[in-house]
Amino acid sequence: MSAPRETQAGTNATAFVLEAKQIEKSFGATHVLRGANLRIRRGEIHALLGGNGAGKSTLIRIISGSHRLDAGSISIDGRLDPNPNAIAVVFQELALLPHLSVAENIYLPHRKCAFARLGEAACYAEARAALALVDEELAERTLDWPVAQLDLHERQFVEIARALSSGARVLLLDEPTANLTFSETERLFGILRRLAQQGISTLLVSHRMGEIRALADVCTVLRDGRSVLDRVALSDISDEAIVEAMGQKSSAVSPPAPRGAPAASARMQIVLRSPGVSLSVASGEVLGLAGAPAGPSGVIETLIGASRPAAWQITIDGIDVRFSSPAEAIRAGVGYVSGDRAEKGILATLPILDNIVAAARVADRRILASSREATAAQTALDTLSIKASSIDALPQTVSGGTQQKLLLARWLAPAPKILVLEEPTRGVDIGTKREIYAMIRDAAAAGCVVVWWSTEFTELIAVCDRVVAFDLSGQASGVLDRDELDEVSLSRATGMAA
Amino acid sequence: MTEVVIDQRAADRPQPGKRASLVVRLTRIYRTEIAIAMAIVVLLVGISFWSPYVLTWGNLANIAQAAAPLILMSLGVFLVIATSGIDLSVGSTFSLTGMVAGLCFSAALPWPVVCLISLGVGLAVGAINGGLVTVVGLAPFVVTLITYAIGASLSFVITDGHSIAIADPNFWTLNGGEMIPGITNFVLFCALAVIALECVLRKLVVGRWVFAIGSNDKAARLLGIPVHGVRFGVYVASGVAASFASLLSLSYISNSESTAGANLMLQAIAACVIGGASLFGGTGSAIGAMLGAIMITVIQNGVNLIGINSFWQGTVTGAVILVAVLIDRATKVRS
Repeated sequence: MSAPRETQAGTNATAFVLEAKQIEKSFGATHVLRGANLRIRRGEIHALLGGNGAGKSTLIRIISGSHRLDAGSISIDGRLDPNPNAIAVVFQELALLPHLSVAENIYLPHRKCAFARLGEAACYAEARAALALVDEELAERTLDWPVAQLDLHERQFVEIARALSSGARVLLLDEPTANLTFSETERLFGILRRLAQQGISTLLVSHRMGEIRALADVCTVLRDGRSVLDRVALSDISDEAIVEAMGQKSSAVSPPAPRGAPAASARMQIVLRSPGVSLSVASGEVLGLAGAPAGPSGVIETLIGASRPAAWQITIDGIDVRFSSPAEAIRAGVGYVSGDRAEKGILATLPILDNIVAAARVADRRILASSREATAAQTALDTLSIKASSIDALPQTVSGGTQQKLLLARWLAPAPKILVLEEPTRGVDIGTKREIYAMIRDAAAAGCVVVWWSTEFTELIAVCDRVVAFDLSGQASGVLDRDELDEVSLSRATGMAA
Repeated sequence: MTEVVIDQRAADRPQPGKRASLVVRLTRIYRTEIAIAMAIVVLLVGISFWSPYVLTWGNLANIAQAAAPLILMSLGVFLVIATSGIDLSVGSTFSLTGMVAGLCFSAALPWPVVCLISLGVGLAVGAINGGLVTVVGLAPFVVTLITYAIGASLSFVITDGHSIAIADPNFWTLNGGEMIPGITNFVLFCALAVIALECVLRKLVVGRWVFAIGSNDKAARLLGIPVHGVRFGVYVASGVAASFASLLSLSYISNSESTAGANLMLQAIAACVIGGASLFGGTGSAIGAMLGAIMITVIQNGVNLIGINSFWQGTVTGAVILVAVLIDRATKVRS
């Protein structure tokens, strides 16, 4: 990555194009933002950092107008009543219409073009100009192409052009390089730097320290809904200091109980192999996976039988195993809990009873839904102190954290041999997080192998015995033992912050 | 994807940790169905102000007879809708089965054999639907639209558009006979079908899978549920149900006509909706589908008895569906 661009000289550098002051926002009883500040200058590239749950997404939604703030103020160019188009959030591809042409995607959102008050030729010319600002070559080549024919990173450029064309002064990019290659990222950064020189500011939300340092000038760090670092020049602060500032209540999560050795009969050895990497994990061990999704998801999908061909080889107690379907994995004793509960976990229209016993039904090849299941489900609720009105209630009647506990309750009986966790505490409050950590430690103590992917370093540090770090391209970059585990080493190994 | 609603009425809060008694639980689970049943009674009473004949045993028997094929068809369609699919082809399966049966009767085959062949028609159509939806992965709407179109045209092709009178003197016993003395067959079949399906959906794991797939098929797959297998099965069931409905109807009318099934498909879907099923899948009950079918038949019957121009039937039915859906929404709180 090339060096950060030089600061602009001679512009009205004292005025802020965007000023968010003391923003407060609560959802029900949860205070997400408690006084967040964000000030962006004209023509600056500004990084917004913060751990999961720090409030970054909420702040962005409030700034872009999707949510209303409870307290505080937002002003654009000093005006409190901003033009809604002045701030544009650039999505990956959600906001583009794939069957329409690039030009139409750029100009149709404008009222004057949609209602044909301006002639089509004029709209087309405007679209061309906007795209040329972003990338000349693209404007030459693809203006008439349907968006579906463009690559992902080119669609991003179209999104940016559309934002510019509707008068955006600040571009909000949320993890824009998540699916880009190195050279595509370079191209994007080139564009953003050029736009910055022309007075368009960028707010970049990212965890990738390398990229942030290459692109941004200043950063703001959010923690627990407040801005703990406000407009600090990146040249003045080290990675360690940033990571420390982001640190999330690591003291509140107690270290795991010492591992009691499981009974000899329950001891199991699992080996995970892929080209260049070989990991051996034993019963009772909690193995963490850290890093961007590309790497850990390969391990997870292989373990739960959801991917073919499998990138990883699994050997259980010396025997090579290949799961051709999730059902096979479940019957072999693999449990799976995902933090993406709405998509991958919860059956929303079925009562809690069915949600809890779902996996057991498959594992035991049950035919009848018996009343024994009701007792088992009730026992699970009581054992895990899950607050639900009854097992016949729908999952929507309990909170997100409780739903996450329900997903874990699925695997209480039959107890799995391998428990695969994919960000299991996503969107969960700190109290429930601790309960979930305890449940997982108990599972490990009972002889289970736990494989845990989390993007929160503090979690991994608190609960894992070892952590495999994957770098940004998905390659395993190292294995860290308990005594080497801390936020800085994880950050270095994965190329991400927090 | 799904539209999930929370039911926030106070009656929903039993003591934590204790499961309510069976009666209380059933009353809560079947709340919608009980309401629909009451609505049907209210409707009948209302109609009786215009035409006292509606509440006579004779007329009620008519209603039951007319409702029977629709009930069976609605059960099949409900099963498909519960998996978040749709089956538009039931109407033409109904007609096609009638035509095939008519041909078989003309060939002087004994009526039990004709029945078996006819059910085979439904099985075949269902298998084609199921195969295209699961293995090939086409959208249910498109697949069943295709089979509907082909089926409808084949119904005409087979008999060149003529209708066939059924000469077998014993065939009427399928519908009107009494395998169990005292209970007419069609009542028996409908009752058995509803009870059996409801038990499967509540008590058998495969029945819970039907709802699970309609609720969140991605999560269902990760849970090891055989999504393709269950989906295939419901389309076959729907086809067979439509064929059986056609046989019952044929056994009563003794005449097979190419256009018989056209209206029934929309009515079957309407019956499911009135009965509380969501078109997105994952909810509803067999009893609800049956009650929805009964309500539609009561409306038809009422329109005839009161003497309203029968062309108004569709309007009345549509209005009733609208009211049913609005009431359904009003008694739940959106999440």
